[in-house]
Amino acid sequence: MGIDPPFGKGLVNVIVEHALHSGGADDIRTTFDIFREIFLVFLVIGTAVGVVVVAYMTYNAYKYRDGNGTADSGDVSRPELGELPSGSGGGKKLFVSFFFSAIIVVSLIGWTYGVLGYYEEGPTEAETDEALEIEVTGYQFGWQFTYPNGHTNSTLVVPQDRPIRLTVTSDDVFHTFGVPEQRVKTDAIPGQTTKTWFVANETGQFEARCYELCGSGHSYMTADVVVVRQSEFHDWYDNRSAAENETQADDDPDTETGTDTEGRLVGVPSVTTPNHATEPTTIEP
Amino acid sequence: MRKIKLYTIIYVVLFVFATVQVLVEFAGFDYWTGLVAILALSAVKAVLVAGYYQHLVHEPRSLTALMVGSLFVALVLTTAAAFSIM
Amino acid sequence: MTEDAHAENGHDGLPPQTAVKRWLVTTNHKDVGILYIVTSLFFLVFGGVLALLMRVELWTATQTVIAPGAYNETVSAHGLIMIFFFISPFAFGFANYVVPLQIGAEDLSFPRLNALSYWLYLFSGLLFGTSFFLGGTFSGGWTMYAPLNMPAYTPTVGGTTAVLALMLFVASVTVSSVNFLTTMHRQRAEGLTTLKLPLFSWTILLTVWMMLFAFAALLAALLILASDRIVGTVYFQATEGGSLLWAHLFWFFGHPEVYIVFFPALGIMAECFQTFCGRRIVGRKWFIAAMVLVAIQSFFVWMHHMFLTAISLEIKTLFMATTIGISLPFDLMVFALIYTMVKGKIRYTTPFLFSFGALVLFIIGGITGVFLGAVVLDYEFRGTYWVVAHFHYVMVGGATALFGGLYYWYPKITGRMYDEFLGKVHFVLYFVGFNLLYFPMFVAWETPRRVFEYHQSFVAWHQLASIGGFVLAAGFLVMFYNLYKSLFAGEEVDGNPWEYASSAEWSVSSPPPFENFPGLPSYGDGRLRFLTPGRGGEVADGGTATGDDALDAAADPATESDRPQSDGGTVTAEAARPEIARDETADTALPDAEAEEEHPDHASYWPLAIGLSAYVTFLGLSGIRMDTAMYPALTGVGLVMGAFSFVGLGRESFHVPEMAVAERWPFEGVENGKLGMWIFLASDVVLFGSLIGSYVFIRVAYGWTAWHVVPHDPIPGLINTYLLLTSSFTVVLALVAAKRESTRGLVASLGATVAFGVGFLYNKGIEWQELFHEGTTVGSSVEASTFFLTTGLHAAHVIIGLLIALFMIAQALKGAYLGEEGSRKVEYFGLYWHFVDIVWLFLFPLFYIL
Repeated sequence: MGIDPPFGKGLVNVIVEHALHSGGADDIRTTFDIFREIFLVFLVIGTAVGVVVVAYMTYNAYKYRDGNGTADSGDVSRPELGELPSGSGGGKKLFVSFFFSAIIVVSLIGWTYGVLGYYEEGPTEAETDEALEIEVTGYQFGWQFTYPNGHTNSTLVVPQDRPIRLTVTSDDVFHTFGVPEQRVKTDAIPGQTTKTWFVANETGQFEARCYELCGSGHSYMTADVVVVRQSEFHDWYDNRSAAENETQADDDPDTETGTDTEGRLVGVPSVTTPNHATEPTTIEP
Repeated sequence: MRKIKLYTIIYVVLFVFATVQVLVEFAGFDYWTGLVAILALSAVKAVLVAGYYQHLVHEPRSLTALMVGSLFVALVLTTAAAFSIM
Repeated sequence: MTEDAHAENGHDGLPPQTAVKRWLVTTNHKDVGILYIVTSLFFLVFGGVLALLMRVELWTATQTVIAPGAYNETVSAHGLIMIFFFISPFAFGFANYVVPLQIGAEDLSFPRLNALSYWLYLFSGLLFGTSFFLGGTFSGGWTMYAPLNMPAYTPTVGGTTAVLALMLFVASVTVSSVNFLTTMHRQRAEGLTTLKLPLFSWTILLTVWMMLFAFAALLAALLILASDRIVGTVYFQATEGGSLLWAHLFWFFGHPEVYIVFFPALGIMAECFQTFCGRRIVGRKWFIAAMVLVAIQSFFVWMHHMFLTAISLEIKTLFMATTIGISLPFDLMVFALIYTMVKGKIRYTTPFLFSFGALVLFIIGGITGVFLGAVVLDYEFRGTYWVVAHFHYVMVGGATALFGGLYYWYPKITGRMYDEFLGKVHFVLYFVGFNLLYFPMFVAWETPRRVFEYHQSFVAWHQLASIGGFVLAAGFLVMFYNLYKSLFAGEEVDGNPWEYASSAEWSVSSPPPFENFPGLPSYGDGRLRFLTPGRGGEVADGGTATGDDALDAAADPATESDRPQSDGGTVTAEAARPEIARDETADTALPDAEAEEEHPDHASYWPLAIGLSAYVTFLGLSGIRMDTAMYPALTGVGLVMGAFSFVGLGRESFHVPEMAVAERWPFEGVENGKLGMWIFLASDVVLFGSLIGSYVFIRVAYGWTAWHVVPHDPIPGLINTYLLLTSSFTVVLALVAAKRESTRGLVASLGATVAFGVGFLYNKGIEWQELFHEGTTVGSSVEASTFFLTTGLHAAHVIIGLLIALFMIAQALKGAYLGEEGSRKVEYFGLYWHFVDIVWLFLFPLFYIL
């Protein structure tokens, strides 16, 4: 596909990206921001707990090894063959450790629960521009996007900095719609609809794909997501209508969208400027 | 003989209850009232069969607990699943 | 046969272990345990090769060696084989071998059923293997999400074969659960109260309880799926919640399954930590309490697998809370194991290294699982390699301890020690390979699951993982070599090669004698002793040590009240004969004239025969909609073989003594056969409950009152209710007649039952016929599907009941089933029949009136 977005090279990236992004408090909280923040906190605490616990285990395994001399000191009673099973003391230490681990787990999850409501509902109308509502339909093996004016498209073209609300369903089997760079994901279930939202802060070209095994074409079940400036979106959207819906939903995306090694910055709606990879400013009226 | 008498009485009760269930349906009650009444009658019948024909009343309570437990598992699945889409 | 073989035969009625025949007929728990272990290791290799295939495909970011469809088959089969046909059976190999030894039983309660479990398992695995050759196996992932699991999307015969193979596996598990539960609740040595069970036995006890209920829900799901694929019902393709219904049913099974897989491993960790640290488990009671909590809670967390579906926010919140709740007891267990090392005298043997490694891996798996517990993170991790890495750390982490168990009990099973150096080499390769394989998946977590095309930037991580996979596999080559070589060249060991091992299996020789113990095991005075049967005289001291720190041997009060009951003492053939599952026909129970002093029986061909017939039947069923005569013919042949085998099993005289003195909490006074029947019925309650639950769910999704009730009027249903109630009454009369030793009364009552049952079926047949004529068929609407399948499954129960009743009439005419003892089989049949009646009491209003 030739896209090489600078996303998700793993854990290191998240930390780096967090450092880069932590300045901007101007915008609404996007799903991307929320995920990054929570993930980072979990990662740091999780790693710390893991390292401490495993280190303590290993230390004990080493310290109390047979022949170290530690074992034969004191009056430790050892299990004997044929005894009725029973336990050793040490319950107090056990409960103290348990108590601390419980506090960590409960407070971590409780903290994330605080943002769950927002994550589910998205920003209110008061906080931001009016949301753009798009219906997403999965099928074997592609995606179809239906705009409020009835226009359907195989590429998800959306404006920057405006909440996009997706209503997702499926025409055939169980799919899961996800745009990893925007940290948005929801199941596409036949006969059911699910809702999710995202706000794209940067223009560019991204990839939507399926996250639930749906048949032999699962690996290829992708769609392009193109984020453009709002004015640019209006130009494009105002010239679309239900009448000129694409007949073929799974066109080769390369023929209709501009791709570039810096796709995230220069992505443009191909429908206006096919195979054109320039700065968005150049196509502004 | 006393036992057979008891079993016979229970049989008659079961028979009558089954008939009443259908009568309730034709009696023209409000749908949900009818539903509760009919299912309650079924539950009573089930308890009678389990308690006396399967003589759970004479067995250790642990067996009753076993059956109540399994019923509970099935009910949890049913109610929680139904609730999840309501 | 050699002299030696004759001698052996004379002793336990079985050919020697070197003879093939021995392994085909044995019902001994230790033999069956070995069969389980060997077979499961075969499936480990099978599933492992599939995994390596995937790792080869994932070496590059684009599709190379495996075609897309084949890749999906590989992914699906790998998951299904590892989870169903490897991990659990591997653990149950140990459970079979070790649990009776640990609890002081001579064998399981129903040895023939134990063999039957094994053969059903083997043939279900073979059937799954066969599915590869029938147009390709199931390719919709191990979670088998609907409606991809419908023939419209996965049309191969092999897909259906795989589903039926899983059903057969569930049958094996159910039989096994009934058997283990009866055994573990009623055959514990005197003084070994439930709380005092060794931890491995504790984990198995909880595992089988979870299995009993969880697999019943899976059976419901698979029954519906098989019906959709074969009969043509339309549950899962229904847009009214069909897809979500599958997810609910599957995960209701699927989450407990995680603990079903993990608990035995936990038990082995506990045993190995205790033995090789030389310390009793810290906070043992709390450890047990935590496990019990997890086992119960496991049934209340399933929707955390469905956070991204259309379920409501309220229910998500509820299930998030229960999910946190279930993670906490594990913290306690982990700390208990860690603190057990303190003040220990730790020996780094292979079993300890594997147990220690398993704990490390489980900690990593647990921490990464907390990430998934946060709903907001779960939304993003859904369908990615984060999930893949997490559950492999948990499940394969668990399997790590199972390999530890294999080394731990190897000397007990074979009488020879494995090669310690090679064992350590295996551990190093295993641990390094494991982390190299699964840790990079956390780093490259943004890779979607089950794809062969992924983003270029993850290639290096996936290549590392592939290398890790091969290192892990190399470790197993070392293991197999070690196990094989040590079988002949290993150092011979006596009863207990491990210092500080304490449970009863180490107090007998290696391998243990056929009857397990030199006398009746008892903890009556606080430590293991073997008593002469019937006398109470002391034969041998089970322990090696002298007086110890006053262990509270306070037997649970139940013991005292239990002892004088008729359960104890001499047990006749009748009383102890296994007979439970609905598909097992009643025993002949004719007094055997030539039986002088009855010896326990240990050999039967019938379990194998039933397993084989099931294989043939299911193979036939899977392609029965094809245009060839072969599949229907296979089905027919299988059914005839099955009928023959069941009757054979029923007529076989097979003596199993019940333990004279035992701890039986909480089922004192319920003999083994009856308890087995009740436990089986409990699983059947969940089966029917899940089917009725499916109906309720679909109806709620459809709109409760908008639903069309399929039968036009309730009168035929009411008539059937009368018929079934009457047949229940006649079964009650049959029991009364049998107790009064009236053959005539018994035959007449059973005959009446059969007549009413046939009437029920006839009436139903007419009703169905009319519906079909009007064009209402199984697939015409989801309403029709739920009606036909649920009442159809009930009718199948009626038919099975009638077949058993006919068999019993034939036996009763020969004078069977009379008296207090003989009538028990009539009673067991009655329990089943009344249950079928009760189910109808709910089906009637739900499907005819409301």
